[in-house]
Amino acid sequence: MEAALQALSVTLPSLYLLCAILHGMAFAGQRGARTTLLRVWSLRATIVLHAAWFLTRASLVNGFPVIDLASTASCVVFASALVYGILARSVQHAGSGGIVLGMMFIAQWMASAFGDMVPGPRPSALGNPQVLHITTMVLALAAVIVSGVHGALYMLLLKSMRKAEFGGRLSHLPDLELLARIMRGGALIGFLCITIGMNVGIYLAHREQLPGFGYRRGEVLLTMLLWVHFGAIAFSRHIKGFNARRASLAAGLGLAVLLLSLLLILFPAVVFHSRL
Amino acid sequence: MDAALTLTLVGISHRTASIAVRERYVVQASDLADCVRILTQSEGIREAWLVSTCNRTEALVVSDRGTQAESKVRAHLFRNLGDEQLYAYEDVQALIHLFRVASGLDSLVVGESEILGQMKRCMEQAQAAGTLGPVLRPLLQQALHVGKRVRSETALGTGTLSVARVGIDMAGRVFGRFQNVRALIVGTGETGLLVARHLKESGIGELAFVNRTLERAVEAANELGGSAHPLGDLTRIATRADLVVSCVEAETPLVTPASFDRKLLSRRDRPMVVIDLSVPRSVAREVRELDNLLVYDMDDLQRVVEENLRLRGDAGDATSSILIAELHKFLALRTYASFTPAIAAMRERFQSVREEVLDNLTHGKAAPESIQIAHELTKRLLDAALDSMKEGARNARSEESLDREYRRFLENL
Repeated sequence: MEAALQALSVTLPSLYLLCAILHGMAFAGQRGARTTLLRVWSLRATIVLHAAWFLTRASLVNGFPVIDLASTASCVVFASALVYGILARSVQHAGSGGIVLGMMFIAQWMASAFGDMVPGPRPSALGNPQVLHITTMVLALAAVIVSGVHGALYMLLLKSMRKAEFGGRLSHLPDLELLARIMRGGALIGFLCITIGMNVGIYLAHREQLPGFGYRRGEVLLTMLLWVHFGAIAFSRHIKGFNARRASLAAGLGLAVLLLSLLLILFPAVVFHSRL
Repeated sequence: MDAALTLTLVGISHRTASIAVRERYVVQASDLADCVRILTQSEGIREAWLVSTCNRTEALVVSDRGTQAESKVRAHLFRNLGDEQLYAYEDVQALIHLFRVASGLDSLVVGESEILGQMKRCMEQAQAAGTLGPVLRPLLQQALHVGKRVRSETALGTGTLSVARVGIDMAGRVFGRFQNVRALIVGTGETGLLVARHLKESGIGELAFVNRTLERAVEAANELGGSAHPLGDLTRIATRADLVVSCVEAETPLVTPASFDRKLLSRRDRPMVVIDLSVPRSVAREVRELDNLLVYDMDDLQRVVEENLRLRGDAGDATSSILIAELHKFLALRTYASFTPAIAAMRERFQSVREEVLDNLTHGKAAPESIQIAHELTKRLLDAALDSMKEGARNARSEESLDREYRRFLENL
């Protein structure tokens, strides 16, 4: 079991690199049918193997496998690949995959390099609400990363188009409409997951009577702010004046704020999370 | 190539003759079969193929060595045409020319792919007329393969060279699919109609025409579908359009910031695209300053066309190596094919020697194992001899010598 976990930990970064390269090839232009098939299946295989990595870890730690920063990062990578895979499949375009999966490769490489190869048993078992809270918040982060990255790509492409710069590296990105769709799709998934994750977190904090918890705490306020923010982006089509450009800008900024919020939540000084 | 046969290609193209000359020597599709049939009826000509398009008319024939194939083709297809307007190539040079034509390297618009379809149609007609044989049939198939390979493996066929098409491609970078796009065409002249046709082909959702003369807008709308409006309605229609293409002759810009409702414009979810295909420009410079709007004029689009041209030019080296590799492959195959009678004779001789030796040694009472061993031995000897012949065929013409031949061909163009 431990050998399998080690093998998977070493293999996963390489697999994400392979996915990033194959998706990057699509970014550079239309590819043959064989390369396309390889690209699709490599992402599927990576997601399946990453899920196997979590299952192996879960059986080793005797509970929910996310126990430290490295496994959280790996969980975010897994969720991001999954969300990207679903969105890319729905829009039938792989043009931005090289960028998203390239980021995932770096994150997974760091998680594999700095995390424990063989984790010890969990200090305390997690209840279902805690598992739900962690899972949904990780998924939300992944979805928001996908949304933010596509928002940034939208702004980049729009800027180059305003300057009438065609061709070059951006020419094989998906069109603006598609980028906006992925950006909003990510925001919607993020919004729904934050809704669940945040409410479950609040419920847990009250139930456990966690010391230091309060609605005026910075990280709690930030999470709520992000919830409203990505909710607005997800439904921006129905908000007058909140066009795709503004929503993309908001998604990019939202991602930056979320990363900051995450840092605060995972910071050791945050009392109520250290209790979990 | 078979030493007893010669491959000859004779023709005229946009490189050697003006359109006035070319149009006199066009062979209509309905006459093509008869034409190649008559060619093969000439003494010494065994196979013939002919391609005739608006940019070229050329014939490729296989004849017995020593036959004056060039003069026969000239007499038949290019009577009264001066030497300077004709080109004629033989053997490897003819192959190089044919592969270049299939690749689009010899086309007026370098890299265009229409020629492949034309060559294929002419091949089918020659096939139906029974004028393709063991040399031309595989050769033409190889040429079509070369054409496809060059376009898929190099940048030769990438990027459009039509300004109108480039404009639509640019709009495609914003909207992706055109199904939900409302387009407004200002001006229903030749360019306006061309753009409307391209948009129609791209599956545009809604099309509106605005023109000074309403009748012409109505005609366009009837022909291509959509609505027609007088020039006075420009502001109203432009406000609700996603794509505005202006192709009108006007001394002062027709499309100005006043043509758009700024409030509605900034509320739009996706940016509006305005393409100005007019010279002088019909979209005022100030329109570029409006929020949520992308404006492209002829200069912007021409830059893309030039970039596409440059990319096609850069593909030249990659194309040459593909052409030479394919030439080498074809010539090796042809050389090996010319060994066929010798191989058949060798096989027969091997078998008769085997039977003779077996008879002499066993007096007709060979054990089944001995017969099997003898069979295996002759088979292996024959295979070894065939491998040597294949190797010899491959080395008959090295890629280096073909490269030199190709350079010589380019120098003489």
